[in-house]
Amino acid sequence: MIRRVTSTAAALALLAGLAACGGSKDAAAATTLTYWMFADRTPQAGQVVEKLRAGFEAANKGVAVKIVKIPKDDYNTKLGTALATGSVPDAGTLDQPLVARFALDGTIKEVPAGTVDEKAFYEGALTTNRVDGKLYGLPQDHTTVGLFYNKTLVPVPPKTWDELKRVTAEIHQKDPKIAGIVVPKGDGYGGWMWPGFVAGAGGEMASVKDKKVLFDQPPAVEALQLWVDLLKSSPREITDSDKPFENGLAGMMISGPWDVANIKDQFPDLQFSVAPLPYKTEPAGNIGGENAVVFSKGKNPDLAWKWLKYLTDPANNTQLAQALGGFPSTIAAAERDAATFGPDQAAFLEQLKVARARPAVPQWIQINDEIIAPAIESALSGKATAQQALTGAADKTRTLLGWTG
Amino acid sequence: MAVPVAERPTDTPRPGRLLGRPGRWRRDHLVGWLLIAPAMAYFIVFLLYPALAALYYSFTDWDLRTAPNWVGLANYTDLLFDGAKYPHFWQSVRVTLLYTLIAVPLTMGTALCQALLLNAIRRGSGVFRLLLFLPVVTAEAAVGAIWRWLYDPQYGLVNVVLGLAGIPRQNWLNTPGLVIPALAFIAAWQCGISMIIYLAGLKGIPASIREAAIIDGAGPVQRFRRIVVPMLRPTTFYLLVTGVIAALQVFGLVYVIFSGGGGRSVTGGPEQAGLTYVLHLYLFAFRYDAMGAACAMSFILLVFIMIITALEFRLVRQEAS
Repeated sequence: MIRRVTSTAAALALLAGLAACGGSKDAAAATTLTYWMFADRTPQAGQVVEKLRAGFEAANKGVAVKIVKIPKDDYNTKLGTALATGSVPDAGTLDQPLVARFALDGTIKEVPAGTVDEKAFYEGALTTNRVDGKLYGLPQDHTTVGLFYNKTLVPVPPKTWDELKRVTAEIHQKDPKIAGIVVPKGDGYGGWMWPGFVAGAGGEMASVKDKKVLFDQPPAVEALQLWVDLLKSSPREITDSDKPFENGLAGMMISGPWDVANIKDQFPDLQFSVAPLPYKTEPAGNIGGENAVVFSKGKNPDLAWKWLKYLTDPANNTQLAQALGGFPSTIAAAERDAATFGPDQAAFLEQLKVARARPAVPQWIQINDEIIAPAIESALSGKATAQQALTGAADKTRTLLGWTG
Repeated sequence: MAVPVAERPTDTPRPGRLLGRPGRWRRDHLVGWLLIAPAMAYFIVFLLYPALAALYYSFTDWDLRTAPNWVGLANYTDLLFDGAKYPHFWQSVRVTLLYTLIAVPLTMGTALCQALLLNAIRRGSGVFRLLLFLPVVTAEAAVGAIWRWLYDPQYGLVNVVLGLAGIPRQNWLNTPGLVIPALAFIAAWQCGISMIIYLAGLKGIPASIREAAIIDGAGPVQRFRRIVVPMLRPTTFYLLVTGVIAALQVFGLVYVIFSGGGGRSVTGGPEQAGLTYVLHLYLFAFRYDAMGAACAMSFILLVFIMIITALEFRLVRQEAS
């Protein structure tokens, strides 16, 4: 196994090296800017990126932008090996939860003061780039999850938790073969969606500034209890089936904009729409999406910031966000182009105004996967009450982070 | 170590003239080294160096990005004793041991049955051999997709077949207690390589022994117990040792079964019931930024595998009788 892991690492490093050396056709340009991003989702997305690149080169004579595209699943591994071997791009895409890690160990640069107008961005999206009060990247796009509902089973989407519980129970009561809602699981993915519910009850996961873990407080406990309650009318043996919502076996599900196109494509007969997440005290949502950062060991930081600023400029941001499968992170772009996203996407766009960033601690992915997700699962499976599960999880998180609050 | 191999072709034609000509001897050596150089380069660059580097990194806090800091044995002691830092380390050990205990006998049993059946038929054995071997060469992602469908709680064929026998529907991949048996079953389905090796073992049993046994009045069960099992002992031992080593390192199968697409992160199935040792290691190496700890895990596994293998060599009979 050691052999396998290490030789894989070595092979990946080699691949990354090859990728970085590939294509030196822009020899004529005085400066080459290397930019890493996720591989195109669609051929159209590739064309958009190409157009943006050409536009930047036209506006900056003597500059060539070399874009290296890497499949999303391999991206972090390849970036890690590239950083380890020193073949670092000037700038690149970075997953939101990695920003804190990379910022704190000096892998990425702080955004120079005056580079952008911070008020131009959505607060949630921008905050995913903030670590200890400093800004380390620019949000390219952002996304969130909403409530998908089957219009035949759910004529009016629930707005509040009480309505959500009532509708869920009614669907299952009417037909025991149909689940009310696909309740998320206690895995990494469920752990990513859950904070949207915690915030919907007015809570927070943690306060990094005060070094306090807050997901054992009443709003979080209520949010987890909601999932436990929903499960009563949404048996797992129905919802663990393949695509239960799409196959009409579940009245509702919680998912993101990427599923809208998938469902329309594969299940053209399904009558569905999307509503914002139901809430208890205030509308809220989780957040995901792609940030762009400048690497400390890159050669052209000034040019790199110029490029990132260009990508997030309201003039280009909508095209880029659509190519990446998210929504514009700049308010001006989103408001101007809201109509082009279509009615099914309106709910997401609305909810992104109130989306909350994950706590900016470097260990967050591990806390999410190894502590929060199992706590959610143990409450959902009935092994512990929501309060017990979260108290235990919060204590473990405090130990791991060395926090007292 | 491979030098004699290279020497042989040059010294066979004129054996008498080799003596007393040191220059020639040295040149032969050089040729030998040159011939094995590609293999040696591969061995050193891709196996030996990474393994030694991993050993070094296992004593550091390396995160792939920043310069590693020496932490001594901390990774090892934390993994073994610090439940706050590595809450699922021992869970991954338990999962892997359970998987090994179920998957290895199941795989070997299935392989032996298939080999016996293939050995018994006269015509069409080539076709069956191909069909039974196909699962081995099927891409892992496809295997994952197929079996997620077969185990589906609503539409899955596995439940349909069990339903015929009156066994109630199960939610195989989402019930903690059923995850490992379900995975072991997939492993047994992929037993083609063991099957081929058993088949070769069976072909190696002289027909005369079998004929003599028939003449002496031994029935099929007796022949199996008194001839086939003892004669196959070296084969069985080989498959046991390699099977246990492979099972302790199971990764791809779990990864594809639980990744499932849709941006889902692989955290090892319901209640970490499918979090095998190497999946846990992978998560720390590439998701939680702890390459140093992951390297330490791989060396703990190495030592464990060496102990288990040594025990097998001591406790299990290896010779045919």
